[in-house]
Amino acid sequence: MSVTRTVTSRSRTRTRRSALTALAFLAPAVVGVVLLRLWPAVEALVGSFTSRSGDVSFGTFERLFSDPTFIGSLKVTLLFSVVINPLQIALALLLAVLLTQTVPLVGLWRTFILLPVAVPQIVSAIIWGVLFRPDGPFNSVLVALGLPAVPWLTSPDMALWSIVIICSWVGVGYWMTFLVAGIKDIPETLYEAAQLDGAGPWRRFTNITLPGLRRPLLFVLVADTVANFLVFAPVRQLTRGGPEGSTNLIMNTIFERAYQIGDLPAASAATTILVLIVVVVVGIQFRLLPGKD
Amino acid sequence: MTLDVSTARERRYGRWLLLAVLPIVAVSLLPLFYTFISSFRPGSEIFQYLSPLSVHTFWPKELTLENYATLLSGTFLPALLNSVIVTTVTVVIGLTVASLAAFGLAVFDFPLKNALFVALVLSFLIPFEAVAIPLSSMFRDLGLANTYAGLILPGIGNGLAIFLLRQFFLGIPPSLSEAARIDGASWLRVFWTIYLPLSRPSLVGAGLILFVFQWQSFLWPLIIAPSPTMKVAPIAIADLAGEAEIDFGAMFAGALLTAALPLILLLVFQRQFTNSLASSGTKE
Repeated sequence: MSVTRTVTSRSRTRTRRSALTALAFLAPAVVGVVLLRLWPAVEALVGSFTSRSGDVSFGTFERLFSDPTFIGSLKVTLLFSVVINPLQIALALLLAVLLTQTVPLVGLWRTFILLPVAVPQIVSAIIWGVLFRPDGPFNSVLVALGLPAVPWLTSPDMALWSIVIICSWVGVGYWMTFLVAGIKDIPETLYEAAQLDGAGPWRRFTNITLPGLRRPLLFVLVADTVANFLVFAPVRQLTRGGPEGSTNLIMNTIFERAYQIGDLPAASAATTILVLIVVVVVGIQFRLLPGKD
Repeated sequence: MTLDVSTARERRYGRWLLLAVLPIVAVSLLPLFYTFISSFRPGSEIFQYLSPLSVHTFWPKELTLENYATLLSGTFLPALLNSVIVTTVTVVIGLTVASLAAFGLAVFDFPLKNALFVALVLSFLIPFEAVAIPLSSMFRDLGLANTYAGLILPGIGNGLAIFLLRQFFLGIPPSLSEAARIDGASWLRVFWTIYLPLSRPSLVGAGLILFVFQWQSFLWPLIIAPSPTMKVAPIAIADLAGEAEIDFGAMFAGALLTAALPLILLLVFQRQFTNSLASSGTKE
């Protein structure tokens, strides 16, 4: 970068001055991150190591990890993440590839698939709640086709997958948009050259599209993973974690412990565990990002 | 991909692909269509024709505006207005904070710059819901409960927006700002008169990210602004669903109105959104 070279070749006072100027530009964001993220994260950490009498202790963590409800919630959260992230990203990628071909009115279809983003999560939860009713339109269609009705939200085996469907309805279109942008960034000449060499659609996808999409794909992976660790509204609205704890994602546990049971240390400890998981997972994924700049 | 290079064969192939695309578009639109239809149904009709399947499952027998009348006579409109205020201010302040930070990271060179960049993006990637509980007690101590400031502040920091704008700023030739500096322009002036005007598409992208994030938020408003006058639209709609006798008609009407504004924005800005990401976020 030429700016870098010019500045480093100048005197040290110059560098210090530019550091101060840069800091002035960065100040609002830095203040924001300290006050709105780091400080409460530290607060959660301290709160989780404080017993009810105010001493430092690991008691809350011991209590949490010996609580089958919490362990169940961790398991559900991990299962949910392992399923929903690959699913959403694969679908988003497939759609992004489809919708960057010469399809008539392609921009319109892309907008239509992105549209669910406009619906607040809680509202989409309510809409899907009606669609998923035992006597709802989905089951009516199934029954009309001679198929058995599905206990979408009422069976412990099905409920989590119904939440996956609701979240993906919004998520797939959103993440697709970033991948569409990434594909448009790949030089058209690469595809033309490959076509001249006689490469078929699959070869073009694996040899040009996928390598060209590495950065946006990893970015979507990181952002999608974080978002899915924090799913709350559909669970709160539709299942309250049930049936039989099968949809008890960690954000629901945290909310219940803080606001229904009033067990703030447990909520803080659970928050600490969640932040830790997110930081570790995102940290790993960020290491995979090619060339940080 | 311009039309003049696409051969007849390619266009035929595109029409076949359309057959694969249309069902997906249908799946994507069906819940919205159902919401739209149901919002114009009399309350009694909504569940009457669900099963067995008939034409009236997806098409109302009679149309009515009574749901909208019920909705608008309640507390929904003030809540929608709150949402609009909160989101608009979030986008304006959020864009300011993010673009200033991105400028600082893209234009200057200083020790630990990359560490600061990674720290900023990583910390903002931990969305505030995860730390909502300690944050809410801090906000309450500061007297920010049930205020617009309390609703807005957590939404203004967005690592993704900083990331996006920084990538775009890095692509602006340094010679432009050097020339302006020689002419005696301040850095703030360089930022305002050179970088911002050149970055309009990527500002639209970052703005949409901020917008969607705040428009969607549910847990935070639930915690920090429980007072009836400070409710935002998603909470007001959830309240309709939580009452003993659920007025589904009014709820669908509310869902549609809440979705309508971002729908319009998306339709207007979608092209710019995609293009801006294409020309910034992903360059090697």
